[in-house]
Amino acid sequence: MTKPLVSIQALEKVYEGRSGWRWPRWWRRGASVPKSGQVFAINGVNLTIEQGETLCVVGETGCGKSTLARLIMGLETPDFGRITYLDERIDDLNDRQRMPYRQKIQMVFQNPFASLNPRMTVYQILREAIVLHHAHWSRQQVDHFIDELLSSVGLSKDAEDRYPHEFSGGQRQRISIARALSVEPELIVADEPLAALDVSVQAQVLNLMMDKQQELGLTYLFITHDLAVVEHFATRVAVMYLGRVCEIATREQLFTMPKHPYTQALLSSIPRLDRLALEPIHLTGEVPTPLEKPTGCSFCGRCPLVNQRCYEQVPTMQRQSDGSHVACHAVEEGRAWK
Amino acid sequence: MSLLSVSHLSVKFRQRHGDDLVALQDVNFSLERGERLAIVGESGAGKSVLGYALVNLLMKPGYIAGGSVQLAGRELTTLSAKQWQGIRGQRIAMIFQDPMVTLNPVLSIGEQMVEAIRSHTRIARRDAKKLAIEKLAHVRISAPAQRFDQYPHELSGGMRQRVIIAIALLLSPDLIIADEPTTALDVTIQAEILGLLKQICEDSGVALILITHDFGVVSRIAERTLVMYAGRIVELGPTLEIINDPQHPYTQGLLNALPQMALPGQRLNQIQGNMPPLNEQPSGCAFHPRCPYAQEKCRQQAPKFIFSGVSSVACYAIEDMLQACAIDEDLD
Repeated sequence: MTKPLVSIQALEKVYEGRSGWRWPRWWRRGASVPKSGQVFAINGVNLTIEQGETLCVVGETGCGKSTLARLIMGLETPDFGRITYLDERIDDLNDRQRMPYRQKIQMVFQNPFASLNPRMTVYQILREAIVLHHAHWSRQQVDHFIDELLSSVGLSKDAEDRYPHEFSGGQRQRISIARALSVEPELIVADEPLAALDVSVQAQVLNLMMDKQQELGLTYLFITHDLAVVEHFATRVAVMYLGRVCEIATREQLFTMPKHPYTQALLSSIPRLDRLALEPIHLTGEVPTPLEKPTGCSFCGRCPLVNQRCYEQVPTMQRQSDGSHVACHAVEEGRAWK
Repeated sequence: MSLLSVSHLSVKFRQRHGDDLVALQDVNFSLERGERLAIVGESGAGKSVLGYALVNLLMKPGYIAGGSVQLAGRELTTLSAKQWQGIRGQRIAMIFQDPMVTLNPVLSIGEQMVEAIRSHTRIARRDAKKLAIEKLAHVRISAPAQRFDQYPHELSGGMRQRVIIAIALLLSPDLIIADEPTTALDVTIQAEILGLLKQICEDSGVALILITHDFGVVSRIAERTLVMYAGRIVELGPTLEIINDPQHPYTQGLLNALPQMALPGQRLNQIQGNMPPLNEQPSGCAFHPRCPYAQEKCRQQAPKFIFSGVSSVACYAIEDMLQACAIDEDLD
């Protein structure tokens, strides 16, 4: 087995809450005052990304999946733990040291309306990164490369001199993908790249991403909350809940036999066309905030299989008989789902 | 008599230069009491415009250019703003996509609910409060009396959407129009909210028009589905029929583009091209530039809406097929 491309160990990220400004007492009048505190966004995550695979990270809003992407990109620095890229530690680099990794790891953002500079033409957007990383290229080489890049993502050559606002959402996402591909990366971190797009356009962009993966042997870290996309696209899936990974499994394992109670609830609540009869498992209880570090399992407030141990002890990742990894006391103890 | 009947409704947007843009064209459908109808389409298909037109919330420069909307036999398009106050909120309630934008952040939930009740009925503040708390409990909000005094920012997204539903239910409307009510929510919360909406409709006999782009959501809640493309209805029929046996090429394309319709790892079936913008509407059937079955007459004249057994479709290919079947039967 080849070495994992990226491996993440015991990663933690804490955001400091509101500080500095205090509301004057006369203003408060008994109304709720924003508490200062810490937000535990990532809470001990262990994860590997294998070469050439598509790892999908799924989870609800606020579970830390975007923070994870930003940490891998180096847009945030972790508070604890380490991220290695082919044996090189990349979480504590300075800007200069990070340059080669900025080329190897590229990102596609969620909102193609916000992630492209509205005052630059497509040519300028694409050229910027190429010139930075290939300083020795001649102008002709760069132009030629940009032409090829645009046609490879299905845009015509006359797109070069146009501005982002002249394109539709799907076309803009193609430009974002072209920009990510412009420095010939090995890993592309895509943070909900389809969320802002319509169904038929989603299919176009997803097809493009799959084509590029086959053509260039790319590795994807694909962050999404759309499980239909995951089922279609993923090699492996990591399910996150409140800053922790609760299940890692291959696509087949996850969709045929989800083990963690949260995964089960999540899978049952996707509205699907082929399982009309299936009733969703309704989770009771409120989504907890990441403001307090939970003492036990972070899912214990909503879990139907909860017992005393879940409140007290954090479950660790256990390898299951079929090779998937689950962090759950109930699974470990064999308290089966009824 | 049906609760809502819309006939030949068309909506246009006025332009400073040139002809007005046609956002909705010849929309016909009706809705029975307690029925749940879904309006599906991509962005720009006119589904929200239709929803807004039904409650007279179209912003300038949009205006209703023709046709009629009747609520239980009463014509709505000719009402004055004053008369609308008796309809909107009271007979027809609306739920919008983003609960954070819909709720007023500087008023407590209770104040907003009481305000809504008291602007429509003469009722004591205390009774209004009682009614509001009752409705909050109805949408399964825990500790409704405490929530009454809280502000929107203190609630989670799912909770806020529940409050919106409670506000919509305050005056026991006949019809709720929900414009993408779960798009801003997580899947587990979405499942809860959809279940709640469905149950409320069944319990209290409220009709629901659900505007969405997600066929999964449609399959879970709606009895009938209306598919829109470029401001026109292309298909209307029972939800199960539309999902299992879509007739119109656009509906077929839309359903085929869903990731679960292709084998894992295989290319998805995409519809070529994009929805035309309003100012570049093609002649004839608006879908013909993207349609695999397009023929000459599709380019010249828009197809009529015809009934094809279980659902109604506007497509020449289906029309021809039906005619061929009819001729076969004649020969037999």
